[in-house]
Amino acid sequence: MDRKRQKQLVEALIVAAPEPLPPRRIAEVVPELAAGEVPELVDELMQEHAQQGRGFEIWKVAGGYQLRTRQELAEFVRQLLRERPLRLSRAALETLAVVAYKQPVTRAEVEQVRGVEAGPVLRGLVERRLVRIAGHRDVPGRPVLYATTRRFLEIFGLGRLDDLPTLREIDELLPQPGAAASQPELPGESAVSAESAESAGEAPGEVAAEAPAMPAAEASGEAR
Amino acid sequence: MSEPLAAGPCAIKLQVFEGPLDLLLHLIRANEVDIADIPVTQIAEQYLDYLELMRELNLDVAGEYLVMAATLAWIKSHMILPAAEEDEAEEGPDPRAELMARLLEYQRYKEAAESLGERVRLGRDVFALHPPQPRATPGAEREIEVGLVELIEAFRRVLAAAPQGAGFHEVEHEPITVRERMVVVMDVLARAETADLDGLFELAGDGRPSRALIVVTFLAILELVRLAALRIHQSLNDGNVPEGPIRLRRAEGARDWNEGLPELM
Repeated sequence: MDRKRQKQLVEALIVAAPEPLPPRRIAEVVPELAAGEVPELVDELMQEHAQQGRGFEIWKVAGGYQLRTRQELAEFVRQLLRERPLRLSRAALETLAVVAYKQPVTRAEVEQVRGVEAGPVLRGLVERRLVRIAGHRDVPGRPVLYATTRRFLEIFGLGRLDDLPTLREIDELLPQPGAAASQPELPGESAVSAESAESAGEAPGEVAAEAPAMPAAEASGEAR
Repeated sequence: MSEPLAAGPCAIKLQVFEGPLDLLLHLIRANEVDIADIPVTQIAEQYLDYLELMRELNLDVAGEYLVMAATLAWIKSHMILPAAEEDEAEEGPDPRAELMARLLEYQRYKEAAESLGERVRLGRDVFALHPPQPRATPGAEREIEVGLVELIEAFRRVLAAAPQGAGFHEVEHEPITVRERMVVVMDVLARAETADLDGLFELAGDGRPSRALIVVTFLAILELVRLAALRIHQSLNDGNVPEGPIRLRRAEGARDWNEGLPELM
């Protein structure tokens, strides 16, 4: 199978997959292809899409590849679909953030952080399948534990949970005596900028910094 | 509403806060004070002013706000009282320490939530071929509860198709009871998961159902709905208009439906 056909195949499978397609699945469907070869083929596809200025691009989300429309075209796509975008209130986003970083967490722990009742918001997030019930904690009362879902990764364009930017450290939030301007770099931000710089080098042109940040670097790690 | 409210030396704008911690963070920032050295008296005063404002606006002041007000009062009292009473030698911990820790912890997640909200979001900023939520294909499997109007409409349709005597007709005794038809309907639903409403009318066997059979079957179905023994569904089309066959489905826990039967005719 020549390279062109390999890429065609990978592209076709990504298009047809109902959810983010892991490299492993591609290798299962195409025996001539090893999972380890997939990331490179996808990288090439991504570069081609960017060079040709296509209206879509490949994203690396929830452990797989997914074809998505380009962000700058959102306005028009929205009109076509006439779908209400998933709206998340501040309360929902804050609750989601606590669950995402501290999971698995109990309702009481969420309430401790936010200082307000969390039950209804958690229920809403479960209904929207952004949060799931991940069992019980083995303490008196056996409180329910909450964790984020695969869909959470998909919606927020995360390859996996580790891709969440690092939480700021408490001491960073305290006013630093003396050193006001020159804050030590934030681990989360530096990681992001390094990643996008790297992929910008690989995929020339003004590829949206967000999307290519995930595939190139991580896909290879994911391919195991 | 962005009416500034004169609240002591500092005006606060009315905005919606996510709770007492959020409000306190706002006050600390608005007053440009150090979170590690909160001037409790000043902040507590403004905090209470805000609660008062919420009450005046008939906003529900949630219990958490009141608990925090009490906490602030407690801290204030401990800062005013000379620490002498307890242990002279060592200075007790700063009564504000715990509050500060909670504020900082909340601030971390508040910022994390903000950056989460700013992420490129599927379904808002980018779109995948296959939408992230299960979305029914047009006309299929998207079920709603059918209202009485749709039911009667279906009934009229079936009735209109039933044979009509021309001018006169022979009175013929057809031994159909609502109760019997209820049993028939539930029998059908016991065998199949769902049944078509139109199909049920034809269960009489040979030929087209008589008007009497249709009427009695219709009454039987309504009776079964009343007994919560079955549920009625119809799909929605793209424009959210009910379309397609009306289907009956055995309700969960419908096993005991015939307990109420003896009272019926």
